Amino acid sequence: MLETEARTAAASERAQLIEALIEVAAERGYMDTSIEMVIARAGLDRPAFDRHFRGKYDGFLSAWQEMNEECMASLMRAYDSEQHWPDRLRAVACEVVGSLCNEPSRACFAVEVLAAGDAARARRDMTMRVIASLIDAGRKEMEDPESVPHTTAEALAGSAYGQVYAKVVRGDTDELPKLIPQLMSAAVMPYLGVEAALEELDRGSNPPDRYRRPVAAIPADTPVENGEEYPPELARLPPGRHGLPREFVAHNQRERLIAGLAEAIAENGYSGTTIAHITRHAAVSRRTFYEHFASKDECFVAAYDTVMAELRERVGRAFEEEEDWPHAVKAGIGAMLHFLAAEPNLARLCMVEALVAGPVVVERYDSAIQSFVPYFQTGREGRSPEVLARLSPTTEEALVGGMMSLISRRIIAGKTDELESLLPDLVEFTLTPYLGSGEAAKVAREG
Amino acid sequence: MEKGYRAVTVADIVRRAGIARNTFYENFSSKEDCFLAASEFAVKEALRRVVDAASKVDTWPARVNSGLSAFLHYVASEPALARTCIVEALSAGPAAVERYERSIQAFVPLFRMGRKVSPHGEELPGTLEETIIGGIFWIIYQRIIMGQTEQIEELLPELVEFSLTPYLGAEAAKRAAAEQPSAATG
Repeated sequence: MLETEARTAAASERAQLIEALIEVAAERGYMDTSIEMVIARAGLDRPAFDRHFRGKYDGFLSAWQEMNEECMASLMRAYDSEQHWPDRLRAVACEVVGSLCNEPSRACFAVEVLAAGDAARARRDMTMRVIASLIDAGRKEMEDPESVPHTTAEALAGSAYGQVYAKVVRGDTDELPKLIPQLMSAAVMPYLGVEAALEELDRGSNPPDRYRRPVAAIPADTPVENGEEYPPELARLPPGRHGLPREFVAHNQRERLIAGLAEAIAENGYSGTTIAHITRHAAVSRRTFYEHFASKDECFVAAYDTVMAELRERVGRAFEEEEDWPHAVKAGIGAMLHFLAAEPNLARLCMVEALVAGPVVVERYDSAIQSFVPYFQTGREGRSPEVLARLSPTTEEALVGGMMSLISRRIIAGKTDELESLLPDLVEFTLTPYLGSGEAAKVAREG
Repeated sequence: MEKGYRAVTVADIVRRAGIARNTFYENFSSKEDCFLAASEFAVKEALRRVVDAASKVDTWPARVNSGLSAFLHYVASEPALARTCIVEALSAGPAAVERYERSIQAFVPLFRMGRKVSPHGEELPGTLEETIIGGIFWIIYQRIIMGQTEQIEELLPELVEFSLTPYLGAEAAKRAAAEQPSAATG
């Protein structure tokens, strides 16, 4: 209990410091913000600041990292609140505009931190890639999904950012709602055509039907509700904190490069990672990099395959060790969560970055999902006709997809260390179609 | 501008330029002033090249194609300047944003002509041109950040298609994008 209390206290201390830093920076700018001002605002002392951050720049980056993660989580919630693509995008647009209008100090802080250097920009660019992928989902609505270039969504996201950024910098946040119909119309056009685009103009800045902004306004000094608080030491992944498993460390250069890529990505996001970052983390020369890989993408694909192979191996082994199917499923999921929680860098690489790293990996992500399907299909054996009638041919795929999505959401939220606590829920969720809820819950809750 | 806007000092600039501090202040009142002058120069030069290339061809889609081709060629040949204007502009605060928006505005007329050939003309979203140009800038920014400056020119067909689609529809835009730009880009 004491340990938990200490952790909670540390978390709230860190949250207070970040809140204070955001406020002071929003008022005074990056250059004129000092650590003294931040601790004075937070009502804490210098040792408290030093416990959480390695200086002013680190404090800024940590606050920025959290803001990006919160932002991503809220965008995902908005996106998921609707069922159909243009509405989903509209919900995201409303969410962005709503939060910028309601939290002006956060918007000002964003402007300040972006001017402070490349690391902050790399973080933003990662968020922008996620937004681009939400726009890019529009291609699924088309008869020929490959007919739109992949740069289109990237361009639309970036351009939307530019327009929003300009308004925020100018202090014209009250004009942001006017951008919604304009941006929506431009985003819909390449995928659904000009008629649908004109409809979006007519809808004005109205939110879609299902989406409701959960909190209208959060005063800057109120901490975010408990469920949304990020574990302090996990929001950022400082180099060296997360040791890579022995398998990944370093006997041969290729593995070192893969581990280097995972570390570099954890620090900079996929788009912000350069070959120089990778070679620095791997401590090999640029020439060595090119002896093994033609590009960053190729290195990423190799890393992804390596991590997934390892993950599959562990899940397979855990599954085989159990006698009966429900417990085998539980053991398999447990092994997956354990691996991901123990390796935050790799977890992020294969569950989050893979989705934004481009079509090559997205295909592999799909086939990775497929590779877990047979474990669940075994569950059909010996079930009653009623149960089998309830299962659809895609039940297993949906179960794996749903599980992956829950897991990746946690990782995005910086809660990788809590992944193992998902075990009972995931077990219950996946077993219920086969065993019914009573039996599934029983297996799920067993010690 | 290798260090990023905020980290650059006037001392860095004069050292690189091989001039005296006094000479700097005879020409510019501050670092901001110098930065703005650099991006102003770059935008003017880019615009000159785009207009030059576009005026060599007749139809609007061909103009967009040639103009963009000249633009990408310029960006690829001046990565440091491009970085100053695009990367920093989206991060360097109010004055830079002013410049960023003015650079976008400079190119708006080239795209706006498309409304004349589009069946929807003025019905199209009012900020469509800003969106297209901002999108092109962003894509270029991403390539610069990833150190892929030399691949920027390969983006031409995709960016032409992206720019033309709202006006011409997907099919016609794709066809126009597949054509070689006619103005020589050197």
